[in-house]
Amino acid sequence: MNARETAWRLFSSELNSASHEIKGADEKSPSYVVTRLGAMVNRVLVAGVLTEKENVGTAEEPMWRGRIQDLASGNFFINVGRYQPEAAAEIAEIEPPAFVAVVGKVRTYKTDDDRTFVSIRPERIIRIPEEVRYQWILDAARSAWDRLNRMKKALSLGEQTEDTLIKAGFGQREAQGLVIALEQYDSPNSAVYLKNIQNALRAILPDRNIDLGLPEDVADVPDEIEIDPASGGSDRNDMEDIILRLLEELDVGKGAPRDELERRAEAEGISSMELEEVSNALMDKGMVYEPNLRYLKRI
Amino acid sequence: MNEEELTPHFEELKKELEGKITDEQLRKELNTYLNEYRVTIEAAKRGIKRKYGVDPTLSFVTGDSISKKISDLTGTEMNVDILARAVFTEKKTVTVRGESKTIVSGILGDETGTAPFTVWEGVNVDLVKGETYLFKNAYTKKWNEKVQINLGSRGKVEKPEGVKVDVPDKIIAAESAEIKIGDIRDGAGNVTVTGRILSVETRNITVKGETKVVHSGLIADDTGKIQFSAWNDYNLKEKDSICIKNAYIRSWKGIPQLNLGDRCEVSKVADSFGVIDAAASSRKTVADIMSIGGGLDVSISGTVVDLRGGSGLINRCPQCNRSVLNDECTAHGKVTPVFDLRMKLTIDDGTGAISAIVNRQDTERITGVTLAAAEGLAKARGDTEIVAREMAPKIIMKRITVTGNVLSDEYGPMMIVKKVEEAKVDVKGEAERLFKEVEAAL
Repeated sequence: MNARETAWRLFSSELNSASHEIKGADEKSPSYVVTRLGAMVNRVLVAGVLTEKENVGTAEEPMWRGRIQDLASGNFFINVGRYQPEAAAEIAEIEPPAFVAVVGKVRTYKTDDDRTFVSIRPERIIRIPEEVRYQWILDAARSAWDRLNRMKKALSLGEQTEDTLIKAGFGQREAQGLVIALEQYDSPNSAVYLKNIQNALRAILPDRNIDLGLPEDVADVPDEIEIDPASGGSDRNDMEDIILRLLEELDVGKGAPRDELERRAEAEGISSMELEEVSNALMDKGMVYEPNLRYLKRI
Repeated sequence: MNEEELTPHFEELKKELEGKITDEQLRKELNTYLNEYRVTIEAAKRGIKRKYGVDPTLSFVTGDSISKKISDLTGTEMNVDILARAVFTEKKTVTVRGESKTIVSGILGDETGTAPFTVWEGVNVDLVKGETYLFKNAYTKKWNEKVQINLGSRGKVEKPEGVKVDVPDKIIAAESAEIKIGDIRDGAGNVTVTGRILSVETRNITVKGETKVVHSGLIADDTGKIQFSAWNDYNLKEKDSICIKNAYIRSWKGIPQLNLGDRCEVSKVADSFGVIDAAASSRKTVADIMSIGGGLDVSISGTVVDLRGGSGLINRCPQCNRSVLNDECTAHGKVTPVFDLRMKLTIDDGTGAISAIVNRQDTERITGVTLAAAEGLAKARGDTEIVAREMAPKIIMKRITVTGNVLSDEYGPMMIVKKVEEAKVDVKGEAERLFKEVEAAL
């Protein structure tokens, strides 16, 4: 049976940190990118903010490149060519920033220094209401959590071979993915994925003080403090401009170091709490992202 | 051959040679044959029997073969004789590698158990249910953990005079596993099912020129429903709750169906299902469906990830309702087609993807695009494809729950949708649940 490959809902951090690809034996058999949590991914379903798009082809034969920020962990990179006529027609009509969902196949590229980049070749790219974006974040968080648990279960077995995993109740494909992931990457750093899940839950439940007790540089905002949206509005925009300017100024390549940013923001009259608020807002808008915990970078 | 492997042969010989040989002698003989002369176990056994005065042919050892009881079959016998009773038998024509072949298949039973059999050269073989036969030079295979008896071109069926094998009823009954309807899949073998009849009708059908009466319908329990066909009249009535023993499963396009054949027993039972919630009973994931193959009135919730070609405004033949291209029906030639709306969706629930075909009424309701509006739009733009393009953003990425019958073919599972609803997702509630789960685990 030649059933269609399922579309994985996963965060960009998990997809982008994958570097191992299993090529299909011939043109007709599918290729898979194996993630550090053992997902064997051929197709994905992702959602977020299309923050930018660029036609790198010609007007007659467009080739679109774009970035989609997933709110919880980083950016997806998409490439739409002429072999995806529906997606090509669709992306031409969408002006960033916009909430979008993409179904597509994953592709990997190797750079000269042997680093692997993962991009998505969309089959469909559709504008979605914000609520659908939250649905997706929930699905991706649930799916990451499930994989973390499955990986934990696999690691608890004495020996990780396909046979021992299948005997322990894993499906054949799942066992294969987990074994390859452990061979290629060793055991994953669960804090990274838990942070993604925490970000996802914070996005969906902004009123809850969600803290999974993970190491964080910035203190949590106390519940009882409410920012008046009316008065905060104009101040907020000014603060955003200041932060964006600082980010550019302090960028050391991989972004601006948090502690330095905090010091400079303080000097501009922006408290560390306000800085946290503003940078969250900027991340929501898809204008900045965290390359890692201690840095913030403009997109 | 080690001790463990030798034990069954040792025991068999000991039984057959009843007191003619001591255990120690027998062990020594076996050792001589097997370890000094390195002959096959069959040859060793025959030699020892001959030596101690038991005619090997009496226990149906012929040529190089050996006789065995059904429960002793391992599924690896290359050459074995089996004396057993035909519990069930049927002659049919099958196609093997493009060639038409007449085979006789059924179930053999003896006092130790039952096993399915196939006589591959069945043209001149006519077996009568209930009679005892000697299957000579048979071979066995294992499929789905069950031993199957095969008779190839080297084998033959004999009818020994005056020999009768009894098959205790409990052995036949024990062969059929009790199973929930939702768990029935292709190759499940013989099953015992308890359920309530949802519908039943009687039809006359013609099988190979012979008119047969078949009582068919739907039966359900609290896990699912299945189509059944009864080839005898069990006086089945709608709303009756029944226990069916020894039914067998045959699949059509991946959908398992329950067959009540000659060996089947039906008894009325007290209803223990209460109200069968048809919607809840058949909720499945795509992965479930892929492992079963198909099913009736199955519900699946997932995200629409594609609206495929052949969706939107289509043309149909006014006579046969087939979809037509260029006003040309494959059955009726040149026709003046009528317009219709439909969607061919791909629905993905994270466990797999399924194709789903949605009819006009549901397409109109879910997308808000009516047939009249679609015709108007197509006419105004001089393009029928525009309708699908307009529909795509209205349906893709929607969460929906579809209910219908699922078939499978080489492209995977496909549902003919009877009912479609937008699936409501309580994102905050689900997120709270996930939060609690993660928090508790850390």
